[in-house]
Amino acid sequence: MIVAENVPSEDAERHTQLLRGALDMCLLALLAAEPSHGYELVRRVEAAGFGAVSYGTIYPLLTRMRRLGLVTDEQQASPSGPPRKVYALTAPGRARLDAWQRQWNRFADTVAAVLATSDTSPRS
Amino acid sequence: MDTIDSVLSAADQAWRAHGVRPADRAVLAADLRGDLEAAVADGARPQELIGPDVAGFARRLADEAGVRRHHPDHARLFSTTLIGAAVGAVLGYELLGAFFPLVMRFVDFPDETRVPLSLALAVYYGIPAAIVVASAVLAVRWRLRDLHRVRETCRAMALLLPIAGLLVTPVVMGFAWATGYSTDPIVVAFEVAMVMAALTGATYLARRWALRERPGAVAAPPLSAAGPRAA
Repeated sequence: MIVAENVPSEDAERHTQLLRGALDMCLLALLAAEPSHGYELVRRVEAAGFGAVSYGTIYPLLTRMRRLGLVTDEQQASPSGPPRKVYALTAPGRARLDAWQRQWNRFADTVAAVLATSDTSPRS
Repeated sequence: MDTIDSVLSAADQAWRAHGVRPADRAVLAADLRGDLEAAVADGARPQELIGPDVAGFARRLADEAGVRRHHPDHARLFSTTLIGAAVGAVLGYELLGAFFPLVMRFVDFPDETRVPLSLALAVYYGIPAAIVVASAVLAVRWRLRDLHRVRETCRAMALLLPIAGLLVTPVVMGFAWATGYSTDPIVVAFEVAMVMAALTGATYLARRWALRERPGAVAAPPLSAAGPRAA
């Protein structure tokens, strides 16, 4: 379960379901903006406003995206601590992100249109 | 379980139980160790990062990494299916033995009514067969509830076991006819073995079906509560 800030507990499950369908795309988008190591990505997901999503969720997902060639990793030296495996988007990852983004936008537009219809329909 | 070593030890146990090969276990562990060490350097604690279910995390990680597994699960799956089916067979025929006379006593067909033989056979053998299938599926669902994709496996079993039953029945009947409906223990054992082989084969196919890779699917794994906030 995801614990989002400012999200009432009764909405948490719905929030989780919404994020479940979008988390991989959001990870690709965050990595497109800036390569990150695993734990840093966890913090960036939280900072983006999704609430707390665990490392135990994100790390396996990163592993899958790496297997599919959507992200690549590279060991980089760190000034504070051990070398870090930094994940970055690949060209196929960029293409997949673009496709998913278009699909998401179409979907969001459709949902918005449906909701707008419900806003303007007469109430009994 | 507060150290990277203890987390990795628990993960390794889970990978062994999950059928991950030693070479793949070593790669997964090395990757995870590197990432955990970097996180710990940022102030995180391994146990808080992974959460209490290290085994679940490890299994998910292995699956997402796409490592090839050998399948120690199969022995448990097949034995559970066959035990469940055997219990169901006993239960089904006991129930039929108990209720059939009652049904015959209370359902008073008019004399001119003739129940088609095929319908009678379908009811007489179909009910125990349905109980056998249900019992096998429920046994797997309950006993192997920690098995990866057990729900999908059970759904596939519920479809494939009846098909296997329908296919093997004429074969067994033909064999019985060919042997003069012998009750010789060897003949009966061979007939039972044919049924068991059919059920095992259907279970194997159901498992493969449940574990099939869906091309292009990059679904998010189950979301779980976060570990520590940023250090």
